[in-house]
Order: sequence, then structure tokens, then C-alpha cells
Amino acid sequence: MGEAVLLLLVAAICSFCAMAWFALAKPAHWRQVRRGTPLAHGTRRALQVAGSLALLLSLWLCLRADAPSMAALVWLMLLAVSAAAVAFTLSWRPHWLRLWWPGR
Amino acid sequence: MFANFRQAMAWVHTWFGLVLGYVLMVAFFFGSLSVFDREIDRWAVPETRFAAQPMPSFDTVLKPVYDKLRAHPDDMAATALRVEGDIPHPDTLPLVSLYAYTTHRDPVLQIGGEFAIPNKPIDASDDHQHVHGWASIDPRSGAYLSEDKLQVGSDFFYPLHYGLHLHWKNLGYWIVGLAALIMLVALVTGVVMHRKLFKELFTFRPHKRTQRSVLDLHNLTGVVALPFHFFFAFTGLLIFAGIYFPLSQTALEPLAKQHEVLQAERTGLPHEPAGIAAPLASVDAMVAEAKRRWAARDMPGEVGYLYMDHLGDANGYVSIFRAGSDQVALVGQGVHFKASNGGVLREDPPLTPVFAVNEFLTGLHLQHFRHWLLRWLYVFGGLAGCVCIATGFVFFVEKRKRQMAGQSAMLVRWVDALAVTAVTGMLLATATMLVANRLLPEDMVGRGVWQERLFWYSWLAALAHAASRSAPVARGLMSPAWREQCWAYAALAVAAVLLNWLTTGDHLGKTLAASYWPVAGVDICLLLSAAVAVRSARLLRVREGVRAQALATTGHAPLDALEPARG
Repeated sequence: MGEAVLLLLVAAICSFCAMAWFALAKPAHWRQVRRGTPLAHGTRRALQVAGSLALLLSLWLCLRADAPSMAALVWLMLLAVSAAAVAFTLSWRPHWLRLWWPGR
Repeated sequence: MFANFRQAMAWVHTWFGLVLGYVLMVAFFFGSLSVFDREIDRWAVPETRFAAQPMPSFDTVLKPVYDKLRAHPDDMAATALRVEGDIPHPDTLPLVSLYAYTTHRDPVLQIGGEFAIPNKPIDASDDHQHVHGWASIDPRSGAYLSEDKLQVGSDFFYPLHYGLHLHWKNLGYWIVGLAALIMLVALVTGVVMHRKLFKELFTFRPHKRTQRSVLDLHNLTGVVALPFHFFFAFTGLLIFAGIYFPLSQTALEPLAKQHEVLQAERTGLPHEPAGIAAPLASVDAMVAEAKRRWAARDMPGEVGYLYMDHLGDANGYVSIFRAGSDQVALVGQGVHFKASNGGVLREDPPLTPVFAVNEFLTGLHLQHFRHWLLRWLYVFGGLAGCVCIATGFVFFVEKRKRQMAGQSAMLVRWVDALAVTAVTGMLLATATMLVANRLLPEDMVGRGVWQERLFWYSWLAALAHAASRSAPVARGLMSPAWREQCWAYAALAVAAVLLNWLTTGDHLGKTLAASYWPVAGVDICLLLSAAVAVRSARLLRVREGVRAQALATTGHAPLDALEPARG
């Protein structure tokens, strides 16, 4: 039981990271977080790749924690909550997301 | 009529969404509450505040319980309309089938059964010659729970979610079904209308003017939870497909009957009684055998559903299903026994893909599984749906405030008043019901009915209040009813928590120390929602003031530019 909780916790964190990176890969949000610095093309690619990997990692963790039928539901709902959480962070505390991509 | 496809879709989205949005609001909100229906029951019926119980022994506990079960007066009255002559007294009616259902969250057990009646049906094709009885019992003692102890979560909020408590000709099911269908339409048309679905996926600008930020929130809550919205509207329709397409009782009735007979032949579970009396062997021994078989298949579990047909007859059988705590499907892995000797008639084989998909889709909606994280994620999805609908209403009103004149002013006032009623009014009615649940005397006759009445009366009062306070809307201002009802909700929610403490002694300190989450959880949610309501009321006050000031200084309805940025 304890192991499943830990797996799901990490899955939730991965899911939030994935959404945060996808958001940063959008020039408007990047500028919002980085105080107007333009988003370089390479950085954008890197963010998209990181986001996709985190998304897959999150799914894999969900599958480790529960049976596949349940895991699919948990994963989809985690993505929904994470996307909303990222959107609200961008609305009120955009600079927090700087931690998710400390580089340029 | 429309310049392009997108405009046509926008028209459908706006008007169908507006009309059925009110129903959807009810379905989404009470659906969200129903995720924790059993927990709300514990809060509302303090004598059931004990740990969840497994299915009790049939031989020692349940047998005498079913001996005391009688046909329910409601179903006696309903059946009397369908049959000729008077139905004999309930005490004389023989029980022919019975069931018991429990989940990992149930301290009390739901039981019921069918009683045979000798009356002829008025409609010759009506072959359902039974009256039903049902009850909730304490599985530790077998004591019946009084119906006046209304289980607010599972007996009121949950049926409200799918049937609106409109029983006449199943009208409630049809209205909610239509709303679910329109929900699917609204999702598709909404996606078509949305020009920047992915580009603005994470966009919410609370500091822009109301119309813009409300639309952001509408898009955000609609899009991030899109799979949830789609699957819940779809599976909701699927669960009641038998009502919406009653083919097995209409066009395909002969085929359906034939299928029942053939299926009985195939499975070996008798379709008809033999007419020969027979005793009942030990059901506990059958349960033990079923559990042994589940363990042998490497899926040990508890009994979720127990069913017996043709009671006291040589053809009688007992079906034992495993509780689906660890799976999406509700129950499964049925093992069926001959009632008279306890011999195994059949062990259900693994489901065919079609049945497995159906069980998955209905199970994901009805959620009897043990997964607290997923439960909370569902609450998030449901409340996101509520926010999406509510912001849809507000956007409709805000958009029209700028071009208001004559008839449209009246429409907009009503839309706004109904939106207040559907959002804060619904919360008010819910909190009123919980307060009534704690205030009405414990031994009052009709205590359950009065809780329901007070729910509806308070909702009507909220409508009257919203309608009487909507005049400022026609001048492009904000109705003060939103703010006033937020305050009222906050007061009632806090009152409910305090009354729970006063009447039962179970304050948060105690329930938290004992980790009794059903009651602690309801109390915490009431307090948190009260805090949100107070914060909302304060923000609304600020926005109201800003607009009224703009109106006073410029002499006309405040345009967008006059509403300064704030969050």
C-alpha cells in the first residue's frame, strides 16, 4: 500500500512537471515566466521533449501502482489537475515556474 | 442563417448550453458530492458512524433479517395501480428472491427482495408480478435503520444527480439524459468554437475584465478536464441505456424473453421455480467456497453482492459475487450454488471483451473501487464541470450587458437570476439540508421528508432572492445576490459544522484524532467551502463597487475600459 502511494505521488509530480514544461514551451508563457526573454528554438524543442518524457514516465508510474484499467483513469485525471495547477500558477505566481527551467 | 460553420456551432453551444446548463449544473454538483455519498451518510446519520463492515454471515445474521423484511409501502402503492384487485397484506406475501449489496465504504448493508403477489396484471403483457421491499441494516446486529434517518448522501444527493427526484414517468432520467447528450454536443461544438485550444491551454487571466477572465476559466475548466467530461456524460447515458432504449420491453421483447430462457439453459441457473419446496443449505459454507475459488484464481476478496432466486424452491440458487474494490467493474467473478444442497452450479468464466468494456465504462462512473486518490480526482473533474457551466452563464450575461436594451434586458436579468440560483442557490439548499438534518428532532415523524422539503424550499427562496435583486444587471452592473448568497452559504456551512459538534459531540478535534475521515472530511470540506465563499463575497464586493463607481462618474453603463485590472 505504502509503495503504491509513493508511486502515485511521484506520478503526480511527473505529471505536473510535464504540464509545466509544455506550458513553458509556449512563447507567451515563457515570456511571462522569464520576464520577457524570448524563447530560443532549441530550448523550445528541449522543453517539448522533456514534457513528453515526463508524461510517459507518469503513465509508467501509474501502471506500476495500479491495474492498467485503473491506472489509465488515474493518469488522465492527474493530467487534468496538473494542467489546471500549472495554469493557476501562471496566473498568480508565474515566477515559481522559473525553477522548472533554470537555464536560458 | 450563419456566415460559417463556426458561427453555427457557437449558436448551438450557446443556446442549448444555456437551457440545459442548469440541469447539467445539478448533475455535476451532486455527482461530485455523490463521490462521497457514503461519507455524507455517516455525517447525516450519526448512529451509523462506525467502521465499514464486510458482508455478515447469512446463516446467523441475515436470515432473520430477511424474515422481517416486508414489501415497501411505496412499491405496494405503485404496484396496486398495475394489477387487478387488492394486493394481500404484506405480512402474507412470500419472499421469492433477495439481494444484499455492500462496498468497502459501507458500515450499513443495503438489502432487498421481491415478494410474489397473486393478482392478475391489468396489462396482460406485464409479467412482473412482484412487489419490492428494501432497507438498510446494521450488519453487526441485524437491526433495521429507520427510513426517517434519511441517508442524505446515497438516498438524496445521489438520486438527485441522475434523476432530479422527478419520478413521474421517469421524467428525471429523461431530462438528465437529454442534458448529458447536450453535454456531448456542447463539448464538440465548444472545441470547434475554440480557436486556440492548445495555444491557450494554460491561459487564465484573472486580472483582465470579467468577460475575458470568465471566458478563460470556461475554456480552461472545459479543456483540461475534457476526457472526464466526455466519459462521464457518455457513461452516464450508457448506464441508463435500458431506459432510453427500452428495446427489451418493446420491439425486441420476444427476443429478450427467449434470450433469458436460453441463457438460463446455458448457465444452468433455473429460469423458473420447480414448484417443489426445498430447504436452504448453509449459505456461509457457499461463501467460504466462493472465497476459496477466488483465492485459487489469485484474486482473494470479500463478498460484494449476494443474490438468491426461487427461495424455498427446489430450483432455488445462490449467486455470490466478489466486491470490485480492486478493479473498475463493480462486482464480478460470480460463483453460483444450488440453494438446497450447496453444490456449485457454475463459476462465471472471464468476461467477453464486449461485457468487459461495458463493465469498465459503467464501473468508472459508479466508482465502487478502493482508490481514494482517484475519488478526489473525480471530485476535481466534477467541480471543474461546475465551474465550466457557471462561467458559461456569467459569460453569456457579461457579453450582453454591453448591448442591453428592451427585451434582452429582461432575458439577461432572468439568466443571471437563474445562474445565481443554480450556483450559490444550490449550495445554499445543500447547506440548509445539512443544518436541518442536525436541527430536526431525532424522533420526529417524517424527519427524512422534512429534510428534503427544506432543501427544496430553501432553493426556491434562493431563486426568489436572486430574482428580486437582479435589477442592477439591466444597468450593466453585477447582481448583489451573488455576494449575499455567498455570505448566507458560508454562515450555513459553519452552522452545520457547529451543529454536528453540539448534537453528536463529534467535533473536528475528536474525529481527526480518531482518524474518522467520513465525518472529519465532511466537516473540513464545509469549512473550506465556507472560507472560499467568504473570499468570493469579498472579491465580488470590490468588483461591484468598481462598476457602480464607473456608472456614477460616466453616467452610462461601464464599458470594458472602465473596469480596471484586479484579481
